[in-house]
Amino acid sequence: MRATIADTFRSEWTKFRTIPSNISTMLTAVVLMVGLGTVTAYRAGEGYQAAASRAFDATYISMYGGFLFAEIAVGALGVLVMTSEYVTGMIRTSLTVVPRRGRLLAAKVGLFGGIALVAGEVASFASFLLGQAAIGAAGAPTATLGQPGVLRAVAGMGLIWGLVGLVGVALGCLLRSTMMAVTVLVAVNFLIPIIGPRLLPESAGEVLMTYWPISAGLQVATTVQNADRLTPWAGLGLMAAFTAVLLAMAFALFYSRDA
Amino acid sequence: MIQLEGLTKRYGDRTAVDGLTFTVEPGRVTGFLGPNGAGKSTTMRMILGLDRPDEGRVRVNGRDYVDAPLPMREVGALLDARAVHGRRTARNHLLWLAHSNAIPGKRVDEVLHLVGLGSVTRKRSGTFSLGMSQRLGIAAALLGDSKVLLFDEPVNGLDPEGIKWIRELMRGLADDGRTVLVSSHLMSEMALTADHLVVIGKGKLIADVEMREFVRHSSGVLVRAEDQGLLTRRLTEAGACVEPGAEGALVVTGLEAKEIGRLATEARVVLSELTPQRLSLEEAYMNLTRDSLEFQAVVA
Repeated sequence: MRATIADTFRSEWTKFRTIPSNISTMLTAVVLMVGLGTVTAYRAGEGYQAAASRAFDATYISMYGGFLFAEIAVGALGVLVMTSEYVTGMIRTSLTVVPRRGRLLAAKVGLFGGIALVAGEVASFASFLLGQAAIGAAGAPTATLGQPGVLRAVAGMGLIWGLVGLVGVALGCLLRSTMMAVTVLVAVNFLIPIIGPRLLPESAGEVLMTYWPISAGLQVATTVQNADRLTPWAGLGLMAAFTAVLLAMAFALFYSRDA
Repeated sequence: MIQLEGLTKRYGDRTAVDGLTFTVEPGRVTGFLGPNGAGKSTTMRMILGLDRPDEGRVRVNGRDYVDAPLPMREVGALLDARAVHGRRTARNHLLWLAHSNAIPGKRVDEVLHLVGLGSVTRKRSGTFSLGMSQRLGIAAALLGDSKVLLFDEPVNGLDPEGIKWIRELMRGLADDGRTVLVSSHLMSEMALTADHLVVIGKGKLIADVEMREFVRHSSGVLVRAEDQGLLTRRLTEAGACVEPGAEGALVVTGLEAKEIGRLATEARVVLSELTPQRLSLEEAYMNLTRDSLEFQAVVA
């Protein structure tokens, strides 16, 4: 008999679900996305003016407002998947029962990426549907899943959740300290893309808004193409590549470092 | 069986473990002794592949631990009883461990009862006393029914009853034919448990002896004589170990007082004192580790 990665995966799932706050944090992230997304959508609907209708992206608006908050919770939870092992010293127990390091990290990455993806899809579709109702109630034109690009945008937002979760896991593995990793995470996914463009000269700000990983990735959730930005799949690809590089660094370090 | 060959670990310019070579045999309890900071924990982490040696190799049951098909079947380890997530219950802590090696949940309840935590299986481990945490850590080590067991300072925080319990537990595991390596910085603890001793100091091997042998060597005879040089030569020739003791006396090990007296008479050396004494194991151990440190200081 031989232990397989399926056993490791099951073990990681048991680890995740037996800390009550893990599940509740993920549910909080979903509620934040849906609740704040709906409120933002209603406000945007109120401010809708027919003159600017070409740029009004009802799909993106219904999700983005809540996402800004939810992504912090998802990313931080991803960080904790790794750092809680280091803070408690449990990493040594984990690596004693699963001495194949690549296997242990792969199970963690696969499990949390999957959880974040599923939660993200639920949150994105719920946020979209409630958001459209709110936009409609405010008297602005709404989107339906059947319109071109809308399904891709909503499902794509769920993918972004998965990637944000993986960035959290990678940062947690690389930095091992919860505080440092969450700080970097908030900077990378929140402060730099949102505040950065306001601090930089206009041309540099444009580059940042186009190519910064999360900014590029979020293009997948839009249905109105901004000519200055990457296309939806190119943007998502850039964010995925960035995530893959971080994960590759995490695997390399995890493999070589003393536990 | 655990085989260490020239195992070396450096942290910067400090050598924590320095060319350790010894074998931990099955069927007996091997005490792993050394002062705090001697490198015991580092060695145990290298056995488990947690820390990578700079030189040398360690094999567990004949191969690198990382290659074990079912790791928990090979080694059960208690490294740090406090290294648990305090918000997880005792049972759930063992459950994730069990799942990682395809061990059925039934075994989790079995070991929880075995270590005396049957009534607190659903309590969060963060509420446990150090003694209870030790028992949970021991339960985790026993979970895989492994051939090799490593315990790093297992009696820390246990009450006298608990200490007696873990001694008997380790005895039983060794009698089953398992390999048991237990570290401690206290000799008194080992005296009652271990069959074999591995003593290290500053990362180097000081002694790898049977407990019986160690006990025999720890009894000496205090001798005062007029011509110490001559007597020392004669005793050494006869196979004794002679060391300077307090106030100009000699401490002779390896020979009975009667023999020493006879040799002194033959050499026509006048004795003013001939006192058999029994060093406590603690004293013998202190002598052993102190000597090694002095030796190291001379080399440096």
